[in-house]
Amino acid sequence: MAEEQPIREIGHDEFDPNGTLALILVYFAILTVMWIFMYFVEFLGNDLTVIG
Amino acid sequence: MDIHNYEKLWLVLAMVMIVGFISTTTYGATALGIEMISDDEETIDPNALDEDPRFSEPRVEQVGENEYEAYVVARQFVFEPDPITVPANSTVTFYITSADVIHGFEVVGTNANTMVIPGEVATLTVEPNEPGEYGILCNEYCGGGHHVMEGKLVVEPEAEFDRGEADE
Repeated sequence: MAEEQPIREIGHDEFDPNGTLALILVYFAILTVMWIFMYFVEFLGNDLTVIG
Repeated sequence: MDIHNYEKLWLVLAMVMIVGFISTTTYGATALGIEMISDDEETIDPNALDEDPRFSEPRVEQVGENEYEAYVVARQFVFEPDPITVPANSTVTFYITSADVIHGFEVVGTNANTMVIPGEVATLTVEPNEPGEYGILCNEYCGGGHHVMEGKLVVEPEAEFDRGEADE
């Protein structure tokens, strides 16, 4: 006979998906760094730029 | 509605990021004056380019102190004039049109790039600061010789450019 497992119930606000939060923050950080690189270094640094 | 705090956090971050993307491009358009290539030039007859004052003789013309205009005709499979020679530290406006089919005009490795449509005049202004040589490519398939359609943009040091003008 299998032992009876204890069941723990937690409420909506007690569940904290820290791993998911960390992944999303890392993802956002990557996006921000890539955007800055793409716009300010690759695009603006790529003279001749159309100004008129 | 019950939204978890973490979820609120990343919703807000996503919004902040979108606002950031939009404000960088707005900064480029307003503070740096980066423009799109518009279609507000008058249309012309692509079969009568030889009667057009600008395109009958493709050339670079000085229109002000340090301001130049380049009239460029793209046709199967050349750009005229070739090379396009302009001085450094100047403002150059290209007027580009096609004599036959749709071409592209891309100054390789730069942001200067436009479609060249028969009947339309693509207008773009750039500021070449450093002397150097750029390749020009057709980036719209325009026929059997598309892959050999290329030109050259030569940015000469100012002194050298003035001497060249005097020789003519």
